[in-house]
Amino acid sequence: MNGFSPTDLAAMLPLALLVAGALVLLLSEVFLTSARRGYQVGVTVATAALSALAAFSASPAGPVFGGMAVVDAFSTFVTVVVCFGVALSALLAGPWLRAREAERGEFYALLLFSASGMVLLSSASDLLVAFIAIEIMSLSTYALAAWMRRGRKPAEAAFKYFLLGAFSSALFIYGSALVYGATGSTLFASIPHSSGALLATGLGLVGAGLAFKVAAVPFHQWTPDVYEGAPTPVTAFMAAGVKTAAFAVLARLLVTVWAGPQAAGLGSGGVVTVLALLTMIFGNLLALPQRSVKRMLAYSSIAHAGYLLVGVVAAGAMGARSSGIAALLFYLAAYTATVIGAFAVVGILERRGAPAEEPNDAWDLTRLAGLARRRPGLAFVMAVFMVSLAGIPPSAGFIAKLLIFKAAVAAQAYGLAVVGVLTSALGAYYYLRVVVYMYMRAPEAEEAPLVSPALSVALAVCALTVVVLGIGPEPVAALARVASALAP
Amino acid sequence: MASLNLLTVVIFLPLAGAVAAAFFPADEPNQHRALALLFSLATFFASLGLWFGFNTTHAAPEFQFETMVPWVASLGVSYHIGIDGVALLLVLLTTVLTPIVVLSTFRSVQERVKEFMIALLVLESAMIGTFAALDLILFYVFWEAVLVPMYLLIGIWGSDNRLYATLKFFIYTFVASVLMLVAILYVSAHAGGSFDYLKVRENLQLGVSAERVVFLAFAAAFAVKVPMFPLHTWLPDAHTEAPTAGSVILAGVLLKMGTFGFFRYALPLFPEAALHYRPLLATLAVVGILYGALMCLVQKDMKRLVAYSSVSHMGFVMLGLMALTVEGLTGGVYQMLNHGISTGALFLLVGLLYERRHTRAISEFGGLGRQMPWLATAFVIVTLSSIGLPGTNGFVGEFLVLSGTWLGRLQGHLFGHPVAAAWFAALGALGVILGAVYMLLLVERVFLGPLRNPKNQSLPDLSVREWFVLVPLVILIGVLGLVPQPFLTPAREPALRLLARFQTVEERLRKENPELPPATGSEPAAIAGRE
Repeated sequence: MNGFSPTDLAAMLPLALLVAGALVLLLSEVFLTSARRGYQVGVTVATAALSALAAFSASPAGPVFGGMAVVDAFSTFVTVVVCFGVALSALLAGPWLRAREAERGEFYALLLFSASGMVLLSSASDLLVAFIAIEIMSLSTYALAAWMRRGRKPAEAAFKYFLLGAFSSALFIYGSALVYGATGSTLFASIPHSSGALLATGLGLVGAGLAFKVAAVPFHQWTPDVYEGAPTPVTAFMAAGVKTAAFAVLARLLVTVWAGPQAAGLGSGGVVTVLALLTMIFGNLLALPQRSVKRMLAYSSIAHAGYLLVGVVAAGAMGARSSGIAALLFYLAAYTATVIGAFAVVGILERRGAPAEEPNDAWDLTRLAGLARRRPGLAFVMAVFMVSLAGIPPSAGFIAKLLIFKAAVAAQAYGLAVVGVLTSALGAYYYLRVVVYMYMRAPEAEEAPLVSPALSVALAVCALTVVVLGIGPEPVAALARVASALAP
Repeated sequence: MASLNLLTVVIFLPLAGAVAAAFFPADEPNQHRALALLFSLATFFASLGLWFGFNTTHAAPEFQFETMVPWVASLGVSYHIGIDGVALLLVLLTTVLTPIVVLSTFRSVQERVKEFMIALLVLESAMIGTFAALDLILFYVFWEAVLVPMYLLIGIWGSDNRLYATLKFFIYTFVASVLMLVAILYVSAHAGGSFDYLKVRENLQLGVSAERVVFLAFAAAFAVKVPMFPLHTWLPDAHTEAPTAGSVILAGVLLKMGTFGFFRYALPLFPEAALHYRPLLATLAVVGILYGALMCLVQKDMKRLVAYSSVSHMGFVMLGLMALTVEGLTGGVYQMLNHGISTGALFLLVGLLYERRHTRAISEFGGLGRQMPWLATAFVIVTLSSIGLPGTNGFVGEFLVLSGTWLGRLQGHLFGHPVAAAWFAALGALGVILGAVYMLLLVERVFLGPLRNPKNQSLPDLSVREWFVLVPLVILIGVLGLVPQPFLTPAREPALRLLARFQTVEERLRKENPELPPATGSEPAAIAGRE
């Protein structure tokens, strides 16, 4: 391996900025009096914006650190999406935490540390780098999930997340060891030059570890409990950021493997197809009976992982590689804006009970009843997010699904496309139920929802992104297309 | 765009009205009523420009007021719009009905007027866009965009069982449409990757079985919308629960999106598969005609009766299209207009009775003719149009459909035995008779006889506003009945083009199998007799 050159370090500037921002926040917590709140959100948003700007303006450097990481248009796109998600989550977290008197600078530092792991993950082209990045991302998220450890459910959620996360990391690292044993290298690029049972097993374990992270059925069981128990801003961050980063590395790994000479011998395409089918079907079916909006969104995030897997499968086909990756990237961008917006509304409406109270009905559908009369603006943006999640035009979610299914048809994966559209019709049922409650039910007397300028900004940005990506998707779609050319 | 395309203006003017309405305060309902009426009338006048600027001669281009702007270039999707004669008629039907509907809601809708008007205007834009789109994805976007405002209209302003009805409506139509989306993607992949309607129609290359599957996916989406038997079960519920305005738009325009879909997409894009499934579709059309009519005979609820009569009438439209003769196709298109006008008017009249009595049960009424002579007169005129009395619009459409079917070469099968076209026409004619029975029975039970129910004794006749709602429709019934030519001519050229398309396919098929009997167009003997 070569030594590190200054250009390698320069290529990692977005990552360095995120870490620097996190350190600033940690130090400020020591030196500034804790009475002054509010600047942390600003610092977090500014850091994320700077990092995205740095990623966007820097020219793609290609392989860095001796080929263990790659800075290309793909990683740039993912970095920008992750930074977008971090900034929105921070805007949501500020008022939410303040209303519960739980705001501390460490929260935002953890958010940024986690984001730095995600950014590294999007560049990883080596199993060890990927592992380190996953751990940076996950350890911070474990802590974030445990932020409000009041009551049984949040504690259970945090513990479950940590335990299963550690388990999936173990699978990943053991798989990496087997791959190393079979190929003598941990680089993605070396995998497709060998074959055999050892390599297939190793790859299977690595894939299982990643399937945990993206919450693909049958590796999804932790998702509903963790998403429900974690603080809502953290849930939004997990659904958007962790999913984006995990899909980035999964796509890079699988596309590298499938492009190689021994791809057919590994038989992984069929496995991912089955995962995609199971995830779309069960994600949507399990979301159907949920009365808790937060839990419903958790299952819906599983379902969306299924559609994203369709994009991954399409990217594996000969003629659809770039359209598959472009669809995946566009979907991640659209989903980030939509899901953070939806969780923001959930966070605004959720009950701010006493610490000991069990928030069993904190997110029940009835809390949305008559929202169109109480808060017409809030109800409207929530309806926009639901329409987008359901994939009804004209919304970002529709264009995203269109791109995914077009890639699937180009890859001749007709079964996946048909199951995909049918399950999204199923999804329309439970997304529209939210609209039913907001617009067609009488309001019930409730405590006043959270109001804050930061929240309004976050919601406006999310809703605007969803609408703009639905009506004028071309700029972002073109960027995703450019980003689909993975550097070797 | 150097100059603003008139069709674009017509599509987006209602949407602009909806956006404008968002800035007006919600507690001033009259402002919203005026605004919606203003924008829908402006749209109507703009659409008159389309009507007078449209060239119906053979030399004219197939699609007029055409414009094309790239929309999502990386997908190959463009904002490509244009109208042929059929789309022109349906756009006009939409722009005529919408201001009437807006006017009709001034008293019946008192709750959340702002949202109601916004939903109505968004709906109008989406409907016009559906007829005007010349790009498959653009078409799909408009097609689906119709669902959400309609869903809200039924779900928020509907009657008691509205949540069940609106969900059923949404799920039926959405499930059927998403399969069409996959079909669109498949078709595009086999037509050089373009979504442009003209390019797809030109370049589409499909195997026999693939073409049949894709045709079925399109046909299912359209058949649910029409609705064709046995996919009609959402319709009575949706109509019964919808507010009057929703019912009028649903019957008047939304159902036409289904038959328009057959005319514009399913038939010309997949002619071989269409010929293959034609006996099935024609049979279902006839079954729908008779089943709908029989169901009408036993209804106790006026709105449900009108809803089932829609199933019957839309069966005529489908039968006319499936006849694949000039008469059948133009008659089918004409029948789309008729159904929009007369069923729309029927729903409005039932709505007027409902506003006065808050019931739709037929048994609650009787002898209203003495109490409200003008409303009764309007109801009788619309009824006569609905049953196709000569002199009304319904006669022209039904006559063309039935004669087109009779003269055509449609051939069905029943347990292996061939069924001649004449049978389809005869059974259709039976539906006309049944139609007269149930509609006249309705008139008798509601308006004739002595006024027994004391609750009906002080019902007011038409108000000035209600006159303005009904008179345009009654005039249209007369004009379309007595001077049909201007409204038939625009449909003629598209019908001829569609037939020409089928005849080229037939010639190709006959080269492979010379035994094949001709299937489209009229019998030559019949034509010679008429000349």
